[in-house]
Amino acid sequence: MTDILEILFNRFRGASTAEALIWQDRAFLYQDLLSRRSAVQNDLQNRNITAGSVVALKADLSPQSVATLLALLVQQCIVVMLSQPAAGQRAETFRTAQVEYGIQIDGADHMHYQPLPYRPDHPLYRQLWKRQHPGVVLFSSGTTGERKAVVHDATTLLEKYRARRYNLRTLAFMPLDHIGGMDTLFYALSNGSCLVTIPDRSPQTICRAIERHQVEVLPVSPTFLNLLLLSRADEHHDLSSLKYITYGAEVMPESTLKRCAARFPHVTLLQKYGTTETGTLRSKSERSDSLWVKLGGAEFQTRVVNGILQIKAVSSMLGYLNAPSPFTADGWFITGDRVEVHGDYLKILGRNSEVINVGGEKVYPAAVERVIQEIDGVHEVTVYGEKNPLLGNVVCAAIQAARPLDPPAFIRHIKRHCREHLPPHHVPVKIKWIDTEPEYRHFKKTRHV
Amino acid sequence: MTQETILHTIYRAIDEFNTLLPTSQHLAKSPHTPLFGGSQAHLDSMGLVNFIILVEQYAEDTFGRAISLADERAMAQRHNPFETTGALADYIARILDEETA
Repeated sequence: MTDILEILFNRFRGASTAEALIWQDRAFLYQDLLSRRSAVQNDLQNRNITAGSVVALKADLSPQSVATLLALLVQQCIVVMLSQPAAGQRAETFRTAQVEYGIQIDGADHMHYQPLPYRPDHPLYRQLWKRQHPGVVLFSSGTTGERKAVVHDATTLLEKYRARRYNLRTLAFMPLDHIGGMDTLFYALSNGSCLVTIPDRSPQTICRAIERHQVEVLPVSPTFLNLLLLSRADEHHDLSSLKYITYGAEVMPESTLKRCAARFPHVTLLQKYGTTETGTLRSKSERSDSLWVKLGGAEFQTRVVNGILQIKAVSSMLGYLNAPSPFTADGWFITGDRVEVHGDYLKILGRNSEVINVGGEKVYPAAVERVIQEIDGVHEVTVYGEKNPLLGNVVCAAIQAARPLDPPAFIRHIKRHCREHLPPHHVPVKIKWIDTEPEYRHFKKTRHV
Repeated sequence: MTQETILHTIYRAIDEFNTLLPTSQHLAKSPHTPLFGGSQAHLDSMGLVNFIILVEQYAEDTFGRAISLADERAMAQRHNPFETTGALADYIARILDEETA
Protein backbone atom coordinates (compact mmCIF):
# COMPACT_ATOMS: atom_id res chain seq x y z
CA MET A 1 0.00 0.00 0.00
CA THR A 2 1.40 3.46 -0.83
CA ASP A 3 2.36 5.79 2.01
CA ILE A 4 -0.65 8.12 1.68
CA LEU A 5 -3.14 5.23 1.56
CA GLU A 6 -1.44 3.75 4.65
CA ILE A 7 -2.00 7.07 6.46
CA LEU A 8 -5.64 7.27 5.38
CA PHE A 9 -6.37 3.68 6.42
CA ASN A 10 -4.79 4.30 9.84
CA ARG A 11 -7.21 7.21 10.26
CA PHE A 12 -10.16 5.00 9.24
CA ARG A 13 -9.11 2.43 11.85
CA GLY A 14 -8.79 5.22 14.44
CA ALA A 15 -12.35 6.31 13.66
CA SER A 16 -13.71 2.75 13.39
CA THR A 17 -16.84 3.32 15.48
CA ALA A 18 -17.58 6.74 13.98
CA GLU A 19 -20.14 7.21 11.22
CA ALA A 20 -18.51 7.28 7.78
CA LEU A 21 -21.53 7.43 5.50
CA ILE A 22 -25.24 7.98 5.65
CA TRP A 23 -26.81 6.13 2.75
CA GLN A 24 -30.56 5.77 2.28
CA ASP A 25 -30.91 7.30 5.75
CA ARG A 26 -28.87 4.48 7.35
CA ALA A 27 -25.53 5.02 9.07
CA PHE A 28 -22.43 3.02 8.10
CA LEU A 29 -19.36 3.15 10.35
CA TYR A 30 -15.70 3.31 9.34
CA GLN A 31 -15.37 -0.31 10.50
CA ASP A 32 -18.15 -1.25 8.04
CA LEU A 33 -16.23 0.42 5.20
CA LEU A 34 -13.01 -1.36 6.24
CA SER A 35 -14.61 -4.80 6.35
CA ARG A 36 -16.38 -4.24 3.01
CA ARG A 37 -13.09 -3.06 1.54
CA SER A 38 -11.39 -6.32 2.65
CA ALA A 39 -14.20 -8.40 1.13
CA VAL A 40 -13.97 -6.51 -2.20
CA GLN A 41 -10.18 -6.90 -2.13
CA ASN A 42 -10.54 -10.70 -1.87
CA ASP A 43 -13.09 -10.65 -4.65
CA LEU A 44 -10.74 -8.65 -6.90
CA GLN A 45 -7.91 -11.08 -6.23
CA ASN A 46 -10.12 -14.10 -6.96
CA ARG A 47 -11.08 -12.51 -10.28
CA ASN A 48 -7.45 -11.86 -11.10
CA ILE A 49 -7.93 -8.08 -11.05
CA THR A 50 -4.40 -7.21 -10.02
CA ALA A 51 -1.98 -4.27 -9.77
CA GLY A 52 -2.09 -2.15 -12.92
CA SER A 53 -5.48 -3.44 -14.13
CA VAL A 54 -7.68 -0.75 -15.66
CA VAL A 55 -11.14 -0.94 -14.07
CA ALA A 56 -14.15 1.27 -14.78
CA LEU A 57 -16.26 1.99 -11.70
CA LYS A 58 -19.78 3.12 -12.45
CA ALA A 59 -21.46 4.00 -9.22
CA ASP A 60 -23.19 6.61 -7.14
CA LEU A 61 -21.86 7.25 -3.66
CA SER A 62 -22.71 4.34 -1.38
CA PRO A 63 -20.97 2.11 1.19
CA GLN A 64 -20.15 -0.43 -1.50
CA SER A 65 -18.89 2.10 -4.03
CA VAL A 66 -16.58 3.77 -1.49
CA ALA A 67 -15.30 0.35 -0.30
CA THR A 68 -14.74 -0.69 -3.93
CA LEU A 69 -12.89 2.50 -4.82
CA LEU A 70 -10.65 2.07 -1.77
CA ALA A 71 -10.03 -1.62 -2.58
CA LEU A 72 -9.11 -0.78 -6.18
CA LEU A 73 -6.66 1.90 -5.03
CA VAL A 74 -5.07 -0.45 -2.48
CA GLN A 75 -4.84 -3.08 -5.22
CA GLN A 76 -2.92 -0.48 -7.32
CA CYS A 77 -5.49 -0.55 -10.08
CA ILE A 78 -6.22 2.33 -12.43
CA VAL A 79 -9.81 3.34 -11.69
CA VAL A 80 -11.88 4.97 -14.45
CA MET A 81 -14.69 6.86 -12.73
CA LEU A 82 -18.01 6.89 -14.58
CA SER A 83 -21.49 8.25 -13.98
CA GLN A 84 -24.36 7.88 -16.40
CA PRO A 85 -22.94 8.46 -19.86
CA ALA A 86 -25.43 9.25 -22.63
CA ALA A 87 -26.37 6.31 -24.85
CA GLY A 88 -23.54 5.50 -27.21
CA GLN A 89 -20.88 7.10 -25.02
CA ARG A 90 -20.22 4.00 -22.90
CA ALA A 91 -18.41 1.95 -25.56
CA GLU A 92 -16.38 4.98 -26.61
CA THR A 93 -15.41 5.60 -22.99
CA PHE A 94 -14.27 2.01 -22.47
CA ARG A 95 -12.27 2.11 -25.69
CA THR A 96 -10.62 5.47 -24.93
CA ALA A 97 -9.65 4.43 -21.40
CA GLN A 98 -8.66 0.88 -22.52
CA VAL A 99 -10.83 -0.59 -19.78
CA GLU A 100 -10.27 -4.27 -18.94
CA TYR A 101 -13.05 -4.69 -16.37
CA GLY A 102 -16.25 -2.82 -15.68
CA ILE A 103 -17.71 -2.76 -12.17
CA GLN A 104 -21.20 -1.41 -11.76
CA ILE A 105 -22.83 -0.87 -8.39
CA ASP A 106 -26.60 -0.82 -8.64
CA GLY A 107 -29.22 1.00 -6.60
CA ALA A 108 -29.38 -1.90 -4.10
CA ASP A 109 -25.59 -1.56 -3.60
CA HIS A 110 -24.80 -4.84 -5.35
CA MET A 111 -21.69 -5.23 -7.51
CA HIS A 112 -21.70 -6.47 -11.09
CA TYR A 113 -18.49 -7.37 -12.91
CA GLN A 114 -18.08 -7.23 -16.67
CA PRO A 115 -14.88 -8.30 -18.48
CA LEU A 116 -14.08 -6.04 -21.45
CA PRO A 117 -11.98 -6.72 -24.53
CA TYR A 118 -9.52 -3.80 -24.26
CA ARG A 119 -5.84 -4.22 -23.39
CA PRO A 120 -4.19 -1.16 -21.81
CA ASP A 121 -0.84 -0.03 -23.17
CA HIS A 122 -1.03 3.77 -23.06
CA PRO A 123 2.28 5.50 -22.15
CA LEU A 124 0.58 7.26 -19.21
CA TYR A 125 -0.55 3.90 -17.83
CA ARG A 126 3.01 2.64 -18.31
CA GLN A 127 4.22 5.52 -16.11
CA LEU A 128 1.84 4.43 -13.35
CA TRP A 129 2.89 0.78 -13.68
CA LYS A 130 6.56 1.81 -13.43
CA ARG A 131 5.87 3.88 -10.31
CA GLN A 132 3.75 1.03 -8.92
CA HIS A 133 1.08 3.58 -8.07
CA PRO A 134 -2.71 3.37 -8.40
CA GLY A 135 -4.36 5.75 -10.88
CA VAL A 136 -7.63 7.61 -11.30
CA VAL A 137 -9.13 8.56 -14.68
CA LEU A 138 -11.78 11.29 -14.87
CA PHE A 139 -13.44 12.67 -17.98
CA SER A 140 -13.66 16.33 -18.86
CA SER A 141 -15.50 17.86 -21.84
CA GLY A 142 -13.45 18.50 -24.96
CA THR A 143 -13.95 21.28 -27.49
CA THR A 144 -15.09 19.17 -30.42
CA GLY A 145 -17.31 16.78 -28.53
CA GLU A 146 -14.88 14.07 -27.59
CA ARG A 147 -14.42 13.90 -23.84
CA LYS A 148 -10.85 14.19 -22.60
CA ALA A 149 -9.66 11.36 -20.36
CA VAL A 150 -7.62 12.87 -17.53
CA VAL A 151 -5.13 10.47 -15.89
CA HIS A 152 -4.06 11.15 -12.31
CA ASP A 153 -1.51 9.36 -10.18
CA ALA A 154 -3.79 8.61 -7.22
CA THR A 155 -0.98 9.05 -4.70
CA THR A 156 -0.30 12.65 -5.76
CA LEU A 157 -4.02 13.39 -6.10
CA LEU A 158 -4.52 12.24 -2.49
CA GLU A 159 -1.39 13.91 -1.11
CA LYS A 160 -3.25 17.03 0.03
CA TYR A 161 -5.34 14.92 2.43
CA ARG A 162 -2.20 13.97 4.43
CA ALA A 163 -2.70 16.93 6.79
CA ARG A 164 -5.61 16.56 9.18
CA ARG A 165 -8.25 19.26 8.95
CA TYR A 166 -11.76 19.79 10.24
CA ASN A 167 -14.11 16.95 11.13
CA LEU A 168 -17.49 18.16 9.83
CA ARG A 169 -20.59 16.28 8.69
CA THR A 170 -20.71 16.95 4.98
CA LEU A 171 -23.34 16.50 2.30
CA ALA A 172 -22.15 14.65 -0.82
CA PHE A 173 -23.54 16.85 -3.60
CA MET A 174 -21.19 16.27 -6.53
CA PRO A 175 -21.04 12.83 -8.14
CA LEU A 176 -18.00 10.57 -7.73
CA ASP A 177 -16.80 11.05 -11.31
CA HIS A 178 -16.45 14.82 -10.76
CA ILE A 179 -13.22 16.22 -9.29
CA GLY A 180 -15.36 18.11 -6.74
CA GLY A 181 -17.07 14.84 -5.73
CA MET A 182 -13.70 13.12 -5.25
CA ASP A 183 -12.51 16.08 -3.17
CA THR A 184 -15.59 16.00 -0.92
CA LEU A 185 -15.20 12.24 -0.42
CA PHE A 186 -11.52 12.23 0.47
CA TYR A 187 -11.67 15.43 2.54
CA ALA A 188 -14.41 13.85 4.65
CA LEU A 189 -12.79 10.41 4.94
CA SER A 190 -9.33 11.80 5.71
CA ASN A 191 -10.77 13.64 8.69
CA GLY A 192 -12.86 10.78 10.01
CA SER A 193 -16.01 12.73 9.08
CA CYS A 194 -19.43 11.54 8.08
CA LEU A 195 -20.57 12.00 4.48
CA VAL A 196 -24.33 12.23 3.92
CA THR A 197 -25.48 10.88 0.54
CA ILE A 198 -28.71 11.93 -1.17
CA PRO A 199 -30.98 10.22 -3.71
CA ASP A 200 -31.45 13.36 -5.83
CA ARG A 201 -30.32 16.99 -5.84
CA SER A 202 -33.65 18.78 -5.40
CA PRO A 203 -33.71 21.57 -2.80
CA GLN A 204 -36.40 19.66 -0.88
CA THR A 205 -34.33 16.46 -0.61
CA ILE A 206 -31.20 18.34 0.39
CA CYS A 207 -32.90 20.44 3.07
CA ARG A 208 -34.47 17.32 4.50
CA ALA A 209 -31.05 15.56 4.60
CA ILE A 210 -29.44 18.58 6.31
CA GLU A 211 -32.10 18.58 9.02
CA ARG A 212 -32.32 14.84 9.53
CA HIS A 213 -28.57 14.15 9.54
CA GLN A 214 -27.33 17.40 11.07
CA VAL A 215 -25.19 18.34 8.09
CA GLU A 216 -22.58 21.02 8.80
CA VAL A 217 -21.06 21.55 5.32
CA LEU A 218 -23.05 21.92 2.12
CA PRO A 219 -20.79 21.91 -0.98
CA VAL A 220 -22.94 22.99 -3.95
CA SER A 221 -23.04 24.91 -7.22
CA PRO A 222 -24.36 28.49 -7.57
CA THR A 223 -27.20 27.04 -9.67
CA PHE A 224 -28.33 24.90 -6.74
CA LEU A 225 -28.29 28.00 -4.51
CA ASN A 226 -30.48 29.82 -7.06
CA LEU A 227 -32.94 26.93 -7.00
CA LEU A 228 -32.85 26.76 -3.20
CA LEU A 229 -33.57 30.48 -2.91
CA LEU A 230 -36.39 30.18 -5.42
CA SER A 231 -38.01 27.09 -3.89
CA ARG A 232 -37.80 28.42 -0.31
CA ALA A 233 -37.41 24.78 0.77
CA ASP A 234 -35.19 26.00 3.64
CA GLU A 235 -38.23 27.58 5.30
CA HIS A 236 -39.78 24.16 5.86
CA HIS A 237 -36.72 22.62 7.54
CA ASP A 238 -34.46 23.30 10.48
CA LEU A 239 -31.06 24.04 8.93
CA SER A 240 -29.44 25.28 12.15
CA SER A 241 -26.73 22.59 12.00
CA LEU A 242 -25.32 24.16 8.83
CA LYS A 243 -22.01 26.01 9.35
CA TYR A 244 -20.54 26.31 5.86
CA ILE A 245 -21.86 26.49 2.33
CA THR A 246 -19.06 26.00 -0.20
CA TYR A 247 -19.69 26.76 -3.84
CA GLY A 248 -17.83 26.23 -7.11
CA ALA A 249 -17.95 24.66 -10.60
CA GLU A 250 -19.36 27.81 -12.19
CA VAL A 251 -19.18 31.57 -11.77
CA MET A 252 -21.21 32.80 -8.80
CA PRO A 253 -23.53 35.73 -9.68
CA GLU A 254 -23.01 38.51 -7.15
CA SER A 255 -26.79 38.83 -6.64
CA THR A 256 -27.14 35.12 -5.72
CA LEU A 257 -24.23 35.35 -3.26
CA LYS A 258 -25.63 38.43 -1.53
CA ARG A 259 -29.12 36.95 -1.35
CA CYS A 260 -27.72 33.73 0.05
CA ALA A 261 -25.59 35.55 2.64
CA ALA A 262 -28.71 37.44 3.74
CA ARG A 263 -30.89 34.28 3.85
CA PHE A 264 -28.29 32.31 5.87
CA PRO A 265 -26.63 34.92 8.12
CA HIS A 266 -25.17 32.30 10.50
CA VAL A 267 -23.55 30.27 7.72
CA THR A 268 -20.11 31.06 6.30
CA LEU A 269 -20.06 31.03 2.49
CA LEU A 270 -16.79 29.87 0.95
CA GLN A 271 -15.75 29.73 -2.67
CA LYS A 272 -13.95 26.61 -3.97
CA TYR A 273 -11.94 26.36 -7.16
CA GLY A 274 -10.50 23.39 -8.98
CA THR A 275 -10.13 21.75 -12.35
CA THR A 276 -10.27 18.10 -13.36
CA GLU A 277 -6.65 18.47 -14.48
CA THR A 278 -5.18 19.94 -11.28
CA GLY A 279 -7.49 18.89 -8.46
CA THR A 280 -9.23 21.25 -6.03
CA LEU A 281 -7.18 24.08 -4.53
CA ARG A 282 -7.35 25.26 -0.96
CA SER A 283 -9.24 28.54 -0.85
CA LYS A 284 -10.30 31.33 1.48
CA SER A 285 -13.09 33.77 0.63
CA GLU A 286 -12.60 37.37 1.74
CA ARG A 287 -16.10 37.41 3.32
CA SER A 288 -19.32 35.45 2.99
CA ASP A 289 -20.77 38.03 0.61
CA SER A 290 -17.56 38.60 -1.36
CA LEU A 291 -16.47 37.00 -4.62
CA TRP A 292 -12.81 37.72 -3.83
CA VAL A 293 -10.97 34.54 -2.95
CA LYS A 294 -7.40 33.51 -2.06
CA LEU A 295 -6.30 30.32 -3.78
CA GLY A 296 -3.30 28.17 -3.04
CA GLY A 297 -2.09 25.90 -0.24
CA ALA A 298 1.28 24.20 0.07
CA GLU A 299 0.56 21.88 -2.85
CA PHE A 300 -0.51 24.61 -5.30
CA GLN A 301 1.00 27.70 -6.94
CA THR A 302 -1.01 30.19 -8.98
CA ARG A 303 -0.09 32.94 -11.40
CA VAL A 304 -2.05 35.18 -13.75
CA VAL A 305 -0.77 35.60 -17.30
CA ASN A 306 -2.63 38.03 -19.58
CA GLY A 307 -5.60 37.93 -17.21
CA ILE A 308 -5.85 34.11 -17.33
CA LEU A 309 -5.31 31.93 -14.26
CA GLN A 310 -2.54 29.32 -14.41
CA ILE A 311 -1.95 26.62 -11.79
CA LYS A 312 1.05 24.49 -10.89
CA ALA A 313 0.02 21.68 -8.58
CA VAL A 314 1.53 18.62 -6.91
CA SER A 315 -1.77 16.93 -7.77
CA SER A 316 -1.72 17.81 -11.47
CA MET A 317 -2.68 15.04 -13.83
CA LEU A 318 -0.08 13.03 -15.72
CA GLY A 319 -1.84 13.98 -18.95
CA TYR A 320 -4.76 13.16 -21.25
CA LEU A 321 -5.18 9.70 -22.78
CA ASN A 322 -6.65 11.19 -25.95
CA ALA A 323 -5.26 14.74 -26.30
CA PRO A 324 -1.85 16.45 -26.26
CA SER A 325 -0.42 17.71 -22.96
CA PRO A 326 -1.91 21.11 -22.09
CA PHE A 327 0.92 22.14 -19.73
CA THR A 328 3.36 24.97 -20.48
CA ALA A 329 7.03 24.01 -20.86
CA ASP A 330 7.58 24.91 -17.18
CA GLY A 331 4.67 22.79 -15.95
CA TRP A 332 1.82 25.31 -15.54
CA PHE A 333 -1.76 24.42 -16.44
CA ILE A 334 -3.62 27.19 -18.30
CA THR A 335 -7.12 27.07 -16.84
CA GLY A 336 -8.76 29.31 -19.46
CA ASP A 337 -10.51 31.19 -16.64
CA ARG A 338 -10.30 34.98 -16.73
CA VAL A 339 -9.57 36.49 -13.32
CA GLU A 340 -9.25 39.92 -11.75
CA VAL A 341 -6.45 40.39 -9.20
CA HIS A 342 -6.55 42.51 -6.05
CA GLY A 343 -3.51 41.94 -3.82
CA ASP A 344 -3.57 38.26 -2.78
CA TYR A 345 -7.19 37.88 -3.82
CA LEU A 346 -8.66 36.82 -7.15
CA LYS A 347 -12.12 37.17 -8.64
CA ILE A 348 -13.07 34.41 -11.09
CA LEU A 349 -14.79 35.98 -14.10
CA GLY A 350 -15.38 32.85 -16.18
CA ARG A 351 -14.06 31.04 -19.19
CA ASN A 352 -12.29 32.94 -21.89
CA SER A 353 -13.65 30.60 -24.51
CA GLU A 354 -16.84 29.56 -26.19
CA VAL A 355 -17.63 26.92 -23.58
CA ILE A 356 -21.17 27.26 -22.21
CA ASN A 357 -21.37 26.61 -18.46
CA VAL A 358 -24.86 25.27 -17.75
CA GLY A 359 -25.35 24.96 -14.00
CA GLY A 360 -21.73 23.90 -13.53
CA GLU A 361 -21.67 21.52 -16.50
CA LYS A 362 -19.41 22.53 -19.36
CA VAL A 363 -20.94 22.31 -22.82
CA TYR A 364 -18.89 22.80 -25.97
CA PRO A 365 -21.08 24.08 -28.84
CA ALA A 366 -19.26 21.90 -31.38
CA ALA A 367 -20.27 18.75 -29.48
CA VAL A 368 -23.95 19.68 -29.72
CA GLU A 369 -23.65 20.85 -33.34
CA ARG A 370 -22.17 17.50 -34.31
CA VAL A 371 -25.25 15.67 -32.96
CA ILE A 372 -27.74 18.07 -34.61
CA GLN A 373 -25.87 17.97 -37.90
CA GLU A 374 -26.53 14.20 -38.04
CA ILE A 375 -30.27 14.82 -38.39
CA ASP A 376 -31.69 14.45 -41.87
CA GLY A 377 -33.09 17.81 -42.97
CA VAL A 378 -30.58 20.01 -41.12
CA HIS A 379 -28.58 22.16 -43.50
CA GLU A 380 -26.69 24.34 -41.01
CA VAL A 381 -26.65 24.65 -37.24
CA THR A 382 -24.96 27.04 -34.86
CA VAL A 383 -25.08 26.38 -31.13
CA TYR A 384 -24.55 29.26 -28.71
CA GLY A 385 -25.08 30.10 -25.06
CA GLU A 386 -27.65 32.51 -23.68
CA LYS A 387 -27.63 33.93 -20.15
CA ASN A 388 -30.15 32.33 -17.82
CA PRO A 389 -30.93 33.58 -14.32
CA LEU A 390 -31.30 30.08 -12.85
CA LEU A 391 -28.62 28.00 -14.55
CA GLY A 392 -26.15 30.76 -15.43
CA ASN A 393 -26.43 29.90 -19.11
CA VAL A 394 -28.52 27.67 -21.35
CA VAL A 395 -27.78 26.07 -24.70
CA CYS A 396 -29.57 27.48 -27.76
CA ALA A 397 -29.36 26.54 -31.43
CA ALA A 398 -30.03 28.34 -34.70
CA ILE A 399 -31.09 25.94 -37.43
CA GLN A 400 -31.38 26.27 -41.16
CA ALA A 401 -33.26 23.42 -42.82
CA ALA A 402 -32.09 21.75 -46.02
CA ARG A 403 -35.62 21.72 -47.47
CA PRO A 404 -39.09 23.09 -46.60
CA LEU A 405 -40.23 21.54 -43.31
CA ASP A 406 -42.84 22.30 -40.65
CA PRO A 407 -40.78 24.32 -38.12
CA PRO A 408 -42.59 23.35 -34.85
CA ALA A 409 -42.60 19.63 -35.72
CA PHE A 410 -39.00 19.67 -36.88
CA ILE A 411 -37.85 21.55 -33.74
CA ARG A 412 -39.58 18.89 -31.61
CA HIS A 413 -37.81 16.21 -33.64
CA ILE A 414 -34.43 17.90 -33.06
CA LYS A 415 -35.04 18.20 -29.31
CA ARG A 416 -36.03 14.53 -29.11
CA HIS A 417 -32.94 13.48 -31.05
CA CYS A 418 -30.74 15.57 -28.74
CA ARG A 419 -32.35 14.10 -25.62
CA GLU A 420 -31.55 10.61 -26.89
CA HIS A 421 -27.95 11.37 -27.79
CA LEU A 422 -26.76 14.04 -25.36
CA PRO A 423 -26.67 14.58 -21.57
CA PRO A 424 -29.60 16.74 -20.35
CA HIS A 425 -27.56 19.95 -19.93
CA HIS A 426 -26.42 19.78 -23.58
CA VAL A 427 -29.91 19.71 -25.10
CA PRO A 428 -30.83 23.13 -26.57
CA VAL A 429 -33.71 24.73 -24.66
CA LYS A 430 -34.35 27.24 -27.44
CA ILE A 431 -34.14 26.47 -31.13
CA LYS A 432 -34.31 29.41 -33.49
CA TRP A 433 -35.60 28.68 -36.98
CA ILE A 434 -33.63 30.49 -39.67
CA ASP A 435 -35.19 30.37 -43.10
CA THR A 436 -33.47 33.13 -44.97
CA GLU A 437 -29.82 33.20 -45.83
CA PRO A 438 -29.14 36.88 -44.93
CA GLU A 439 -30.60 36.48 -41.43
CA TYR A 440 -28.68 33.27 -40.95
CA ARG A 441 -25.42 35.13 -41.51
CA HIS A 442 -25.81 36.77 -38.09
CA PHE A 443 -25.42 33.33 -36.56
CA LYS A 444 -22.60 32.08 -38.72
CA LYS A 445 -19.91 30.30 -36.84
CA THR A 446 -16.71 32.22 -36.35
CA ARG A 447 -15.02 29.72 -34.12
CA HIS A 448 -12.16 27.53 -35.21
CA VAL A 449 -12.18 24.08 -33.68
CA MET B 1 -56.13 39.15 -18.03
CA THR B 2 -58.27 36.36 -16.65
CA GLN B 3 -56.77 33.51 -14.65
CA GLU B 4 -58.44 31.17 -17.14
CA THR B 5 -56.62 32.68 -20.14
CA ILE B 6 -53.31 32.47 -18.31
CA LEU B 7 -53.92 28.86 -17.28
CA HIS B 8 -54.90 28.03 -20.85
CA THR B 9 -51.56 29.49 -21.99
CA ILE B 10 -49.70 27.37 -19.42
CA TYR B 11 -51.62 24.28 -20.61
CA ARG B 12 -50.45 24.92 -24.19
CA ALA B 13 -46.89 24.92 -22.86
CA ILE B 14 -47.65 21.69 -20.96
CA ASP B 15 -48.90 20.05 -24.19
CA GLU B 16 -45.66 20.99 -25.93
CA PHE B 17 -43.51 19.99 -22.95
CA ASN B 18 -45.21 16.58 -22.69
CA THR B 19 -44.35 15.72 -26.29
CA LEU B 20 -40.72 15.50 -25.18
CA LEU B 21 -41.37 13.27 -22.17
CA PRO B 22 -42.34 9.64 -21.62
CA THR B 23 -46.04 9.32 -20.68
CA SER B 24 -45.18 8.44 -17.07
CA GLN B 25 -43.57 11.87 -16.63
CA HIS B 26 -46.32 13.94 -18.28
CA LEU B 27 -47.52 17.04 -16.46
CA ALA B 28 -51.27 17.17 -15.82
CA LYS B 29 -53.27 20.17 -17.00
CA SER B 30 -54.59 21.27 -13.62
CA PRO B 31 -53.96 24.34 -11.44
CA HIS B 32 -52.79 21.95 -8.70
CA THR B 33 -50.03 20.27 -10.71
CA PRO B 34 -46.83 20.46 -8.62
CA LEU B 35 -43.96 21.89 -10.64
CA PHE B 36 -40.87 22.78 -8.63
CA GLY B 37 -39.75 23.03 -5.02
CA GLY B 38 -42.64 21.39 -3.18
CA SER B 39 -42.63 17.84 -1.79
CA GLN B 40 -44.44 16.47 -4.89
CA ALA B 41 -42.39 18.47 -7.42
CA HIS B 42 -42.22 17.02 -10.94
CA LEU B 43 -39.39 19.07 -12.40
CA ASP B 44 -35.65 19.07 -11.86
CA SER B 45 -33.56 22.16 -12.67
CA MET B 46 -33.31 21.46 -16.42
CA GLY B 47 -37.00 20.53 -16.55
CA LEU B 48 -37.94 23.77 -14.80
CA VAL B 49 -35.87 25.91 -17.15
CA ASN B 50 -37.21 24.14 -20.25
CA PHE B 51 -40.79 24.47 -19.04
CA ILE B 52 -40.44 28.14 -18.04
CA ILE B 53 -38.98 29.02 -21.45
CA LEU B 54 -41.93 27.33 -23.18
CA VAL B 55 -44.40 29.20 -20.96
CA GLU B 56 -42.60 32.49 -21.78
CA GLN B 57 -42.87 31.73 -25.51
CA TYR B 58 -46.60 30.88 -25.34
CA ALA B 59 -47.24 33.89 -23.08
CA GLU B 60 -45.64 36.16 -25.67
CA ASP B 61 -47.92 34.62 -28.34
CA THR B 62 -51.01 35.12 -26.19
CA PHE B 63 -50.36 38.51 -24.60
CA GLY B 64 -48.37 40.10 -27.40
CA ARG B 65 -45.36 41.01 -25.26
CA ALA B 66 -42.32 39.28 -23.87
CA ILE B 67 -42.32 38.46 -20.17
CA SER B 68 -39.43 37.15 -18.11
CA LEU B 69 -40.44 34.61 -15.48
CA ALA B 70 -37.27 33.20 -13.92
CA ASP B 71 -35.31 36.22 -12.80
CA GLU B 72 -34.34 38.29 -9.77
CA ARG B 73 -37.98 39.24 -9.24
CA ALA B 74 -38.93 35.53 -8.99
CA MET B 75 -36.22 34.92 -6.38
CA ALA B 76 -37.45 37.86 -4.33
CA GLN B 77 -41.04 36.56 -4.11
CA ARG B 78 -42.34 35.68 -0.65
CA HIS B 79 -43.64 32.35 -2.01
CA ASN B 80 -42.14 30.10 -4.65
CA PRO B 81 -43.92 31.17 -7.87
CA PHE B 82 -43.16 27.82 -9.54
CA GLU B 83 -44.54 25.49 -6.88
CA THR B 84 -47.70 24.65 -8.89
CA THR B 85 -49.29 25.65 -12.19
CA GLY B 86 -51.81 27.73 -10.20
CA ALA B 87 -49.01 29.62 -8.38
CA LEU B 88 -47.34 30.22 -11.74
CA ALA B 89 -50.60 31.58 -13.21
CA ASP B 90 -50.95 33.98 -10.23
CA TYR B 91 -47.37 35.11 -10.72
CA ILE B 92 -47.89 35.75 -14.46
CA ALA B 93 -51.05 37.72 -13.64
CA ARG B 94 -49.07 39.90 -11.19
CA ILE B 95 -46.31 40.53 -13.74
CA LEU B 96 -48.86 41.48 -16.43
CA ASP B 97 -50.69 43.77 -13.99
CA GLU B 98 -47.48 45.46 -12.83
CA GLU B 99 -46.29 46.00 -16.37
CA THR B 100 -49.66 47.40 -17.44
CA ALA B 101 -49.91 49.71 -14.43
